[in-house]
Amino acid sequence: MSDAAFRPGRDARGRLETLIGGYRPRVGVPDEMVDSSGRPRPHWLPVLEALAAGEPADVARAFAIADRHQRDSGVYYRVYSDDSGAERPWPLSHVPLVLPEQEWRHIVAGLVQRAGLLETILADLYGEGRLVSDGHLPGAVVAGSPDFVRPVVGMDTGGRRRLQVYAADLGRGPDGRWWVLGDRTQAPSGMGYALENRIALSRAIPDLYGGMNVLRLAPFFQAWRSSLGAQVERGHTRIAMLTPGPLNETYFEHAYLSRYLGFLLVEGGDLTVRDDALFVRTVGGLKRVGVVVRRLDSEFADPVELDPSSQIGVPGLVQAVRAGSVILANALGSGVLESRGLLGFIPALARKLLGQDLLLPNIATWWCGQAAERDHVRRNIQDLALAPAFNRVRDWPLPGAPVEGAMLGAPERAAMGTLLAERPYDVVAHEPVRLSTMPVWQDGRLTPRPFTLRVFVVSTPDGWEVLPGGFCRVSEAQDLRALSMQHGGRSADVWVTSESPVGQTTLLPRPGAVPVSRVIGYLPSRAAENLFWMGRYLERTEATLRVVRCLCGLVVENSETSGPAREALLRTADLLVAWGATAGPPAPRRGAAAAAIADALYAPRAYGSTRSLVLEARRAASVIRERLAPDAVRALSALVDQFDRPAAAHEGPGEALEAAESGLRTIAAISGLAQENMNRLSGWRFLEIGRRIERGILTGRFLRRFADENAPASCLDALLELSDSQITYRARYLMGTERAPVVDLAALDAGNPRSIAFQAARLRDHISNLADLPTPDALDQAAAIVNGIIADLTDADAVTLSADDVLAVENRLMDLSNEITLRFFTQSDLRGEAEDQA
Amino acid sequence: MIYDVDHVTTYDYGTRISFARCLLHLQPREEQHQRVLASSLRIDPVPDEQTVARDFFGNPICHVRFAAPHATLVIHATARIRVEPIALPEPGATPAWDVVRSEAALADLGRDSPVHQLFASRLVPLLPDVTAYASTSFTPGRPVLAGAMELNRRIHADFTYDPAATDVATPISAVMRHRRGVCQDFAHLMIAGLRGLGIPAAYVSGYLRTQPPPGRERLAGADATHAWVAVWCGIRAGWIGLDPTNAIPAGVDHLVLARGRDYGDVAPVSGVVVASAGHRVSVAVDVRPAGEGPPQALAG
Repeated sequence: MSDAAFRPGRDARGRLETLIGGYRPRVGVPDEMVDSSGRPRPHWLPVLEALAAGEPADVARAFAIADRHQRDSGVYYRVYSDDSGAERPWPLSHVPLVLPEQEWRHIVAGLVQRAGLLETILADLYGEGRLVSDGHLPGAVVAGSPDFVRPVVGMDTGGRRRLQVYAADLGRGPDGRWWVLGDRTQAPSGMGYALENRIALSRAIPDLYGGMNVLRLAPFFQAWRSSLGAQVERGHTRIAMLTPGPLNETYFEHAYLSRYLGFLLVEGGDLTVRDDALFVRTVGGLKRVGVVVRRLDSEFADPVELDPSSQIGVPGLVQAVRAGSVILANALGSGVLESRGLLGFIPALARKLLGQDLLLPNIATWWCGQAAERDHVRRNIQDLALAPAFNRVRDWPLPGAPVEGAMLGAPERAAMGTLLAERPYDVVAHEPVRLSTMPVWQDGRLTPRPFTLRVFVVSTPDGWEVLPGGFCRVSEAQDLRALSMQHGGRSADVWVTSESPVGQTTLLPRPGAVPVSRVIGYLPSRAAENLFWMGRYLERTEATLRVVRCLCGLVVENSETSGPAREALLRTADLLVAWGATAGPPAPRRGAAAAAIADALYAPRAYGSTRSLVLEARRAASVIRERLAPDAVRALSALVDQFDRPAAAHEGPGEALEAAESGLRTIAAISGLAQENMNRLSGWRFLEIGRRIERGILTGRFLRRFADENAPASCLDALLELSDSQITYRARYLMGTERAPVVDLAALDAGNPRSIAFQAARLRDHISNLADLPTPDALDQAAAIVNGIIADLTDADAVTLSADDVLAVENRLMDLSNEITLRFFTQSDLRGEAEDQA
Repeated sequence: MIYDVDHVTTYDYGTRISFARCLLHLQPREEQHQRVLASSLRIDPVPDEQTVARDFFGNPICHVRFAAPHATLVIHATARIRVEPIALPEPGATPAWDVVRSEAALADLGRDSPVHQLFASRLVPLLPDVTAYASTSFTPGRPVLAGAMELNRRIHADFTYDPAATDVATPISAVMRHRRGVCQDFAHLMIAGLRGLGIPAAYVSGYLRTQPPPGRERLAGADATHAWVAVWCGIRAGWIGLDPTNAIPAGVDHLVLARGRDYGDVAPVSGVVVASAGHRVSVAVDVRPAGEGPPQALAG
């Protein structure tokens, strides 16, 4: 640490004084940690003392644990961005925001009041519309929102709330009060990040966390889950979280929350509507879904009645909602409350609808669709911030929003004048927001930074439950204006500290509290398919690396034109070409094998290169992340990191051999994790079936290429190496390499885990187990294919087994792959028609 | 005047489609000057589910779902409609357009309210050059209908009716640039111009009579579904229909099928398979005074 203040030998007391003395919030700006005279507030003292207890290097070490945890759990990992590995929108700022429970109660009361008010407004806008017809709200403030969903106007909710999950962005103003800066009612994000931040930080500084009576987050999630489940009839309580998919910026959170809460993570294509009810397509047929936690915007939810261009929605969903057979959290159209235009009317609506003033004020806002407000804005434009009244307004003429009138140049001011004349409905102005500051840890010291706080509220049968914590966004810049919050920053955990000890709650059930259940988790077809392909791609990667390893050994003593194993070298290099592992066919020249090695590891445009294969495996894994052990996700990331790069110049066979072996070790680790950690009921079999089919096919290809009748010993040796069977062979046969025993070992010996016969036997096990799934489509066809393979291999003789015989087995394995695809993955709605609809 | 309408839509998918879900806007709505005496839908193949309802704007709609595989879909809609003449208000007597604009924003949320027709919609973005084009007809204080009728005439004069120039997916920016299009394009363009100035404007889909009365010219758009614009002229005058394709107000020859914010709200057939590529669609429309026998174009 560079700071001279932290000389070794200073005691904790001294370090504490230095920390406090070096922390200088701006004059006139409230700070969370210190009061106006610079004295630390009592509820922050434990944090300060913990930071001062050791050298700055100790603090850095502890915080690094939190960073590592987040990296390992995949928070930093998003699939489709190639250029940067760490693109989490809000990385962790390690110092938590500390709020005493007494102050928190005020926020809770304010948000419970606001949630109730918003629900009442929503019910009116989609119901009788009295607030508008009675003149309390201009119609254009509602109708102008792209999130006012007309097809659901007048739809009965059976008394259920439309607003089930709500978030408010808060800031503390110069007067020390908390202000509501905006409402999130469409599909609020951040809850999962809040949870993840809590887990990371509580692991990094467990003593401090344990000693401060921090209110726990788990009871909130428990309450939410049971509240969602309690709203539907028994037997239809399956809860799905509907995500736009892995391209969405908050997909990590969807996967994370689904896993934590036990929701089924689905995309639109996983769902289908039949007879006005919603079903998920699973490997066990269609299964009813009673509740959808909606994480995509309403307009994309149904291409039939809403945006017809949506590829991510569920055709007929609006009809299912209309029929009352499924509950959406939040209801379609809830996003209408996010309009800035509405903010200015909320205080008066609170008095009208609740007979109360807002407990937490919202920022003063003027909607310019009214003449008096428009005139006020025109007169005071210097002192106001301007913004679009609605989400997704196109052709906003100013550089950014909100933007302060005082910062506008002449042309922008003219454009604003035109807009206010022609389209005043589209504009709001509000008081510029100034935020309070909290400390961040930077270079061994604390620095004040402005922040906003997102707090989450969910509907429960008794009322509303507020998450005791939240998602705190800390600006990277010193700028105190709220608008600078849009441009990146970090996030901090939020600790609400109680004066009395808090109880332990986790979502892990207490012993005896939950009845034992071994029912299959109704794996969605799409998830099963991705597991299957992940298995196939991993296996193909492994085989490719084995070929590379084999070729590395061969090029040391042989060349394309000479050497005792020249024939094996040529055939191995050709194999890589035939597999598409090289960018093009190598010229028949010296050094071609070495070029093939480099291509087979790193070629970006060869579909069969290791690099391409691991990217495909990760793509398949990315959409089923919630089903994989975090360690497996990490190992797969490591595999991608290793091969998703250009080949180093002058990389020789030694380096390539090392890369191949390291890759094989990582794959072995992934296999081991799957073998040991994946539940046998939930998709492991599909991963396995993919691997076994692929291994059987590839072993067949090895056999045909290296064990024809005229194959020299060097080729048979290569086959033994590729099928990892040298040790068995040497133990069994005290002679040189002969064709028949090698063929027996690679194809027919059911005791050899690398043989085709072994793969077939495993496939038979898996298929007979899948037959237990409640699928009316019998698996007779698949079983017949496998049994045919086994019978042929049992009858076959190693001496007479021909290339054609082997090819026939490979073809039947491909038939099996097609049959599995048809039975379990096909999204055909026609097939679903015959299926179980319970 | 009583008309018989036949409207046949044929989808040829080129392959067997195993599943389709559609929303139909094929049965005419009632209007102040228009009564629907009878209407029916014949669909082949027969849908597995069929539900009749009304959409937000009060248009009759029909949800249909097909589960059986089919390679073609034929929807035959018929209706008998009585249309009364519409008395157009004196344009100079309608309120100034800037007054209309202020009134509109405060209206309620009912299905006929101007607030729904004030903002950009999926197919009608508000574009500065389109707004600028419209604004020359709206000098300060000008009565709203006078301005709108001038705009109606200008579009007819400045744009060429050309069915080859556009399709349903052509954005209005391209229509503005090339100055060509069909009724749907001109309606969208006029709506964008009016809304850009803060004047509520709605999309009306419907029909024109196929053969003109003796001595009158056949109107453009008569052999298919037609589209025009309804302009909100203040609380008293309400919605006035203007047809920029023919530079006339909507009259006794204009039969209203549905009203919405743009074509997307009232497309005769919308839905899932329909939205995917690779199919051929043909539409035949015949509108004739009642009692003049079966439609010639559609016989058989």
